[in-house]
Amino acid sequence: MCASSRPLAALLLLLTGCGATASMPTPGSPSLDRPARLVLDNGMRVIIQEHRASDVVALHLWVGVGGRDERPAELGFSHLVEHMLFKGTETRGPGFVDREVEAVGGRTNAGTSLDYTFYYILLPARRALRAIEVMGDVAFNSAFDPKELERERRVVFEEVRLGEDNPRSSLFRQLYSHVFPGHPYGRPVLGDEAALKAATREMLRGYYRRHYAPENMVLVVIGAVNPTEVSAVVERTFARVPAAGYRRQPLPPPPSLPGVRRHVVSRNEKQAHLALGWSAPPLDHPDVFAVDLLASILGGSRSSRLNQALRERDRLVSSVRASYGALQGGGLVSVSAQLEPGDLGKVEAAVLAEVRRIQTEGVTEVERRRAVTAAESEHAFAIETAEGLAYAYGLAETVWRLDEELRYLERLRSVTREQIHEAARRYLPVDRYAVLAFTPPGGAR
Amino acid sequence: MRRPVPGALGLIVAAGLTLIPSAAPASGHLLPVLRHRLPNGLTLLVRENPAAPVVAVSLQVRMGGRWERPEDAGISNLLQHVLVKGTARRSARAIAEAAEEIGGSVSASGDTDYSELRGTALARHWKALLDLMADVALRPSLPAEEIEKERRVILSQVRNRGDLPFPLTFDTLLASLYGPHPYGRPALGRRQTVERLDRARLLDHYRRHYRAGRIVLAVSGQVSGPAVVKEVERLFADLPAASEAKASAPPAPAAASARRVLERPAAQAQILMGYLAPSLAGGDYPAVKVLTTLLGGGMAGRLFVELRDRQGLAYSLGALYPSRTETSFLVIHMGTAPENLIRAEEGLRREVARIREERVMPEEVERAKAYLLGNLAMDRRTNARQAWYLAFFELAGVGHEFLDRYAAAVEAVTAEDIRRVAGRYLADPTVAVLKPIPK
Repeated sequence: MCASSRPLAALLLLLTGCGATASMPTPGSPSLDRPARLVLDNGMRVIIQEHRASDVVALHLWVGVGGRDERPAELGFSHLVEHMLFKGTETRGPGFVDREVEAVGGRTNAGTSLDYTFYYILLPARRALRAIEVMGDVAFNSAFDPKELERERRVVFEEVRLGEDNPRSSLFRQLYSHVFPGHPYGRPVLGDEAALKAATREMLRGYYRRHYAPENMVLVVIGAVNPTEVSAVVERTFARVPAAGYRRQPLPPPPSLPGVRRHVVSRNEKQAHLALGWSAPPLDHPDVFAVDLLASILGGSRSSRLNQALRERDRLVSSVRASYGALQGGGLVSVSAQLEPGDLGKVEAAVLAEVRRIQTEGVTEVERRRAVTAAESEHAFAIETAEGLAYAYGLAETVWRLDEELRYLERLRSVTREQIHEAARRYLPVDRYAVLAFTPPGGAR
Repeated sequence: MRRPVPGALGLIVAAGLTLIPSAAPASGHLLPVLRHRLPNGLTLLVRENPAAPVVAVSLQVRMGGRWERPEDAGISNLLQHVLVKGTARRSARAIAEAAEEIGGSVSASGDTDYSELRGTALARHWKALLDLMADVALRPSLPAEEIEKERRVILSQVRNRGDLPFPLTFDTLLASLYGPHPYGRPALGRRQTVERLDRARLLDHYRRHYRAGRIVLAVSGQVSGPAVVKEVERLFADLPAASEAKASAPPAPAAASARRVLERPAAQAQILMGYLAPSLAGGDYPAVKVLTTLLGGGMAGRLFVELRDRQGLAYSLGALYPSRTETSFLVIHMGTAPENLIRAEEGLRREVARIREERVMPEEVERAKAYLLGNLAMDRRTNARQAWYLAFFELAGVGHEFLDRYAAAVEAVTAEDIRRVAGRYLADPTVAVLKPIPK
């Protein structure tokens, strides 16, 4: 699921706790029905689309809270709250949602990132209305049962350990801290062990109450449903909650890297891992489309330059990939590779050589077209399913704009070779980037 | 992005997929299917699905473990893997690049009752996708070096399977459940057979099975039915029509009702109990599906509630009942700590006795049906899966519209039906146990 070169998709690299979301879309085909977007009196946004390609409904709740909103004593709270939300409400017992959804063959899960937290329920469409009621209860009346809290705290520590065991996810988390030093985007979404241990029920509940305000939420309902019926249920659930006057804290601008920052971590894996990171434009920037295609051409596919040069031709790496993660207040272009520990220096030099080549020569028309096709294909297969569409809409409405999302492909197709060339020169300076290497014990040179 | 597509490899996987997870108020919203028979006998099914600008194709051939002789076991799967590695016009690399150019992919594998060649693309490249798949299906070059590469891959899968406790015990169980019947053999084949398969035999196998009358081609996506018919008629016209004389029927399954114990170094003990069960076309198929769900369907299934939640006996457990053209099987299984082995087996036997002898509450039957049908709806969300379902049922002889009948039949299953089919099919278990020993 990390294997995406598209900015919206790459956001998921920082996700925690999300077991599913096989598809990460960016829809926008003109042949599709457009979604209906409603704004309730309390400020909550609701997106509904009838989607009759199958008999399921995808129900997503997106909340504008994530790692970036946490104060030092709250590090990891967004994620822990996410875990607590399916652990019972004031009127429904722990595990209620899981059981109810599982019993009809459905699925439910959640994820937390730097900019957002989201929850989803995917189930047969005839259960949709009931599921919306349940989601409304979870959103505003979660119980934070002390016993459940103790259990979930342990689950989260376990998740931290698992994440650290996985070199790829660990590599990306750490790379963010080096590209965004001292910035909220440099913090780990999974949090800080001390803060999590010190978290009391009251602190967490206070955090939940503060951020889970209707004006900070988006509900997305996509599937074989009747939009009128859906609106009626929303009216008597989510719409009943009064506005809370919530305003999200603005983000400071991301720091710029003064030079090449090198970090080496010794770990117990046989192969070495290398990541290079550059600070890149945020979501709401006109260059996101060019940077997206640039990352794809550089290292987004089998036929990409890095793969052809480093893997196929020089046999220097067992895998190599470039991707672009665009966040609300910043972005990151990364190149990551798996390699033999002895080749770390050679591989870094080879990556830079390919970057320089693209900066001098630009890209070919074949490359541009192929990158557009890859993006189009990824998008098209993602919106095949109700949950894929719901994910795309929820994400866009939360951190971007639904409208941008719907026009994404069109914008991508209009990017010229010159714009990609210019993006390479502007955003991939060969003297200002962060390097992170994981090496086996004794493997660092 | 890549959807998990039915892989033939690994019976567990194979069982999982052919396990029709089960129906929603089935295709209530789905569009009708166009069915067309080419003059040479190939059956084409097209579902126009305007939801997204993509297309998926499933070409299924009546070829697989069920028609293999013991000395050829695994040949269909190896052939399928080599098929996508070269044609008269394209190298392996050219095939992969052609797929990339149209925003899709092409792959193939062999299973027990069928072999599949599958492809996806952006909808506007549907012609290029069909052209690529026709090239692979009609003009494979079976390059010698690709045969060797794929053989090595499959041999390592066979080796892995022998090292994994569950698959190993499962294969052992099927062998004693089916005796001489080909369902008793793993679709991957065995080391000795896979090592000996050569190009001449693969070519012969290809020529005997890639006949129009043995093939169903299903297309689902943002396409026009009549346009697809025209293109398929042109592309597949050269496929030889004549079907080989029918092979003699395989020997009847002969369940040994035995208990086999394997001793291997392992952390967990495995217990599998198997029964012969109705084929896809059998009248009891829907009721046995509900029975299987009632026992092993998710966290509310009896095995989970009783043996895991209440007694804490199991790490993993479940029930399998794959959809098969001939006599199928129902397997209940459990992985547990070595010291719990005896209690765990008693527990499984007790659950079987209980469902055979005691009345089942109607609410429990309703829950199982909702789970079964909900899972089917979940499994039919993509065009690739929809194309697979269409081709699979058509090829199996029950018709592509089978799922609609099936969903209605599941809805009609009663508590009394459950007791009846439990009594009839869960009589005499064949058991395979993996007992851990120190390394």
